[in-house]
Amino acid sequence: MKVDIQSLGTFNQLAHEGAQQATASMAQMTGIDAAVDVTKITLVDRDDIGEHLDDRNFVGVQFDFEGELSGQTALVMDQSCSETLTDALLPGDSAADMAESGVKEIGNIMMSGFIDGWADYLETTIDHSPPTYIEGIGRDVIPDSKTVEGDDDSADQLFVFKSQIEWLEESVDFYIYMLPDYDSLTDLMMTHADTAGDAIPIDKLQVFNRMTERGTEKAADNVSMMTGIETEAEVSQISFARIEDVPKQIGNAQYVGTVVEFTGLPSGFLLVLFDEQSAKNVAEALMPTDVDSDELTDQHTAAIEELGNIMTSGFVDGWANVLETSVDHTPPRLVHDMGQAILDPLAAQVGQHQEHAFIIDSRMQTDDIEFEAEIHALPNEQELREALDELMVERAEETEADPDELFQ
Amino acid sequence: MKVYNGSEQTDASTTERIKVGIAEYDVSTNGAVLTTSGLGSCIGVAVRDEAVGASGLVHVMLPAADEVDGGNPAKFADTGVETLVAEMERVGADRADMIAKIAGGSDMLDFSKDGSGIGARNADVVKETLEEMDIPVVNEDVGGDHGRSLRFEGSSGDLVVKSANMDSRRL
Repeated sequence: MKVDIQSLGTFNQLAHEGAQQATASMAQMTGIDAAVDVTKITLVDRDDIGEHLDDRNFVGVQFDFEGELSGQTALVMDQSCSETLTDALLPGDSAADMAESGVKEIGNIMMSGFIDGWADYLETTIDHSPPTYIEGIGRDVIPDSKTVEGDDDSADQLFVFKSQIEWLEESVDFYIYMLPDYDSLTDLMMTHADTAGDAIPIDKLQVFNRMTERGTEKAADNVSMMTGIETEAEVSQISFARIEDVPKQIGNAQYVGTVVEFTGLPSGFLLVLFDEQSAKNVAEALMPTDVDSDELTDQHTAAIEELGNIMTSGFVDGWANVLETSVDHTPPRLVHDMGQAILDPLAAQVGQHQEHAFIIDSRMQTDDIEFEAEIHALPNEQELREALDELMVERAEETEADPDELFQ
Repeated sequence: MKVYNGSEQTDASTTERIKVGIAEYDVSTNGAVLTTSGLGSCIGVAVRDEAVGASGLVHVMLPAADEVDGGNPAKFADTGVETLVAEMERVGADRADMIAKIAGGSDMLDFSKDGSGIGARNADVVKETLEEMDIPVVNEDVGGDHGRSLRFEGSSGDLVVKSANMDSRRL
């Protein structure tokens, strides 16, 4: 099953424009100035959808849609955001039932526009159900997409279109999710694929995601071994976004970590990043003596450099095993800067040859101390495609049977 | 309390703030503060025509549009500057009165082997394009190996450059 890069790009653009349209409707209704920040397509485990939503109370509106494309879509916002919106719509009336009807009304207007945009482009009719008000803590608010009958493997991972909407006045979390049924989306993408030349074997992306997961587990093992802190691999996902949206994948807080360029098939960049507190905590776990400083010292950064190196090796070895190629990498470069500024030179280097990029993200964390590490890889798109093709030919049996075996 | 004394202090509650994302631009004629954040090898180009009180900011990512396929002109140094200047003219600014301030173009994480990193090339193309348009670059904070965030104050024309682990600079 192959989908060309162009159609991935088109679908991403469609989701982005739909979200812009929806946001414009909302702005018109409420007078609140908001803009769509990022839209990306992510292939992710069903269980991990919406994992970035923290343990706050979220509310929103959900629709089912069916037709040439079927699935679910939801508008999700945090509680304070919904209160502000409702207040803008119905000034002075903040009763709970009004808040619910306000969110529902805004949701209805926004999401109808979103779905109509898709229907227009696809020149088809997409019917949607009436809006349902949803609320929940963290990711529980997100509707699970329907399970495919017969418990097909392909349903373990889903493509999710996620647009993040930024509200200029305040920092609020506001998202549009679209969760098409896997087969419905891939069938549609294949229909809209026009060349085989740059086609990507889309089912192989799932295997690739599993590889990333194993790579992250190896990297986490290395951290545990070095620091004695039991570290677990968390989420692994692969996303597709416009080059200019790539740097926005990381927040603008300060990060500490390492960056390498890796060569082989595919080539690209690999980043291991810690937020400052995590960097300090994990570095101190590595140091023989206590450090009496609230700041990051040279000792801290030296420890991070070492750790970044060992994590990179673990991660890259995981890949190389499956791909049966050697993946070499440059010595790690230490970075300590604004997150977005770290990623933008790498995105620019990749962006000289491609308009969109695949971004591979994974995360690890531990309950022992405040610690979280992110791994991001930015592969050359064409080489990733070739690697996936090779994977299909040479390792198809193994990878389809059980990616676990490959990492023993 | 609002104080209108013409000083550089702007009242946050009344001044509009416009965020300019990567490969985006915006123009203001009402003294708004234009901001952009997380510039690595990217460059922020701030253009101002004081006579009509117009200011604009573009956040470009790659040197030249003809090197890459892809439609968004604000992504590239050459077409980004051209687009910004055209938009300034559209709101009444005069090219002959425009001045520019630029910041960014760091060569951090430049893995290129020949040393001609994207940050430096971005800066070159921005300057060449402005020169072709006879718009002088009156101040700059370019290069180095650190990220930057910018705040372009429409009321004063000051470009405030913030970097990690460094004091901010006012251009």
